[in-house]
Amino acid sequence: METTPFVPHLATVAAITDLTIDVKLIRLELEDAGVREAFKYQPGQFAFLSALGVGEAPFGLASVSYKGDELEFAIRRVGTVSDALCEMEPGAWVGVRGPFGNFFPMEDYRGKNIVIIGGGIGMSPLRPVIQTILDHRKEYGDILIIHGARSRQDLVFAAEFDTWAQAPATRLELTVDRGEDAWSGRVDLIPTVVRELKPSPENAVVIICGPPIMIKFVLVELESLQFAHDQIFTTLESKMKCGLGKCARCNVGEKYVCQDGPVFTLAQISTFLEQF
Amino acid sequence: MTEFLSKEGLFTWLRQIAGERKLIAPVRMWGITLFRPVGSPEDIALDIDNTDLSAKDWFFPPSEALFTVEQQGGGRPLITPATEDREAVLFGLRPCDALAISHFDLPFLAEPADPLYRERREKTVLVGVACARARPECFCTSAGTAPNDPSHMDILLTEAGDGYALQAVTEKGRQALGDTPLESRDIQLPPTPQPDPVPLAGINDIARQVFDAPYWDRLADRCIHCNLCAYVCPDCYCFDIRDYSAKGKIERVRCWESCQSAGFTRLAGGHDPRSTKGARLRQRFYHKFLYFPEQFGPTACTGCGRCVRACPVNIDIREVAAEMQKAAEQVALETG
Repeated sequence: METTPFVPHLATVAAITDLTIDVKLIRLELEDAGVREAFKYQPGQFAFLSALGVGEAPFGLASVSYKGDELEFAIRRVGTVSDALCEMEPGAWVGVRGPFGNFFPMEDYRGKNIVIIGGGIGMSPLRPVIQTILDHRKEYGDILIIHGARSRQDLVFAAEFDTWAQAPATRLELTVDRGEDAWSGRVDLIPTVVRELKPSPENAVVIICGPPIMIKFVLVELESLQFAHDQIFTTLESKMKCGLGKCARCNVGEKYVCQDGPVFTLAQISTFLEQF
Repeated sequence: MTEFLSKEGLFTWLRQIAGERKLIAPVRMWGITLFRPVGSPEDIALDIDNTDLSAKDWFFPPSEALFTVEQQGGGRPLITPATEDREAVLFGLRPCDALAISHFDLPFLAEPADPLYRERREKTVLVGVACARARPECFCTSAGTAPNDPSHMDILLTEAGDGYALQAVTEKGRQALGDTPLESRDIQLPPTPQPDPVPLAGINDIARQVFDAPYWDRLADRCIHCNLCAYVCPDCYCFDIRDYSAKGKIERVRCWESCQSAGFTRLAGGHDPRSTKGARLRQRFYHKFLYFPEQFGPTACTGCGRCVRACPVNIDIREVAAEMQKAAEQVALETG
């Protein structure tokens, strides 16, 4: 088959499991061995998934390339494409285009303390960051992971919390917006947790991903902790259709999320004309 | 001495073209003028100024399938990409639309190139006709071209008496002429029309200063987001991609979209980073005056004036440019 940049590679669903009430972890196996071999990606990159006949949408890669050829995506049911993907059974056919975008500069993070802040499904692109650090634990400094969600049932990757928490020099702080009897942990908003834990900006970077309102208030806290703008990394989410810099849908001012991003430092974002 | 093609010679040539390949030319249809495939040169609207819809439709149709999918039950989908195998001559192109095609090339031919666009570009000969008159809303000479500019065309014809002065701009154009007999004449070309100037020089620097001007919300008050400006614009290229499925056959369709649509940037979760009309209207002018130039070089406006003509609430890009200038002067005053 002739390949064109709009035609997806075919893949089948190898496994699909519940992460929360409305989030599924979908594992895909690309059909073509050559495509599988060539599909190398870095933490922070994304791909377009097609539910053929329903549509196509971009999703962050939640797996790490070096662990194998299967691609994992944590998908929250929020629209028609994500709904259709979440309904799929193992063996179902999916279209994949990618990988697209830039990535977290994991090399530059070496030797640094890393604060990872994820709100809800925002943990998805952070999972490969955490995975990469834990697999090369000695190369990075202290890790603080703050993960918050609306409720206990909305915390994603719960099956991995023990592994994260028990890793050397790694602290995991979970928090929820709404408490309940079955939850003995924190009931705080993420910015409050940041204010309380006071991570030091010295030799550190922060990686944030989550809803814009959460990011906004976390930035206020980081500012008062004296984090510089070039120490703060985030991924921007944007409506996009092509991933190729052609459809002109994903610009934030003069930058295109699909090609210039999705990973930006706050230093870069503060120079954008348009504020997301 | 200039090469000269009589009107009769032109028709003979176009008739031959229409027999061999697609002939795309300006026609009157549905009460408007636009570029369509024509069966014979007699169907061409030769007497009009610029068309209501631009020539972009041929390279970038309002909607087209990128590929089709056939899938039986849950079986392996069979994907067939769309291709373009028709050789074509696009006749009657004006310099403003030719400039717009050169702008389209920048995103669409950037690697990985858009396959359908690239095929159409390679297989289409661009035959321009110089403008004998400027419409009241024309301002091409302020936007990087001119009524008689042969740039980005393969052939340029200029009306002269009972025929056209012919300029074969490229080898592709020369070849398309085949053995069409051309005279060599000493021709006095008619004077070139002079559209009114619009202050577009330095508009990108001005844009940097007036992003937060209250002007945008005020202007947007009257916008009814009908999207006409984007549809008639030869430079607007935003698109949407969606799936249509009927009787087991699926099409993935690319269609025109406009940054004025309410859902243009709305995410599946509901968050919309550009949720106000003012921000959306500003995006239209900023993409043209600042973002496109930052990304590719040229300003994404060719001065064709179609948006001025089409807008039902008289939003006028020439006025917007002037207002931006005023707002920048205001900013300069306030900041000393």
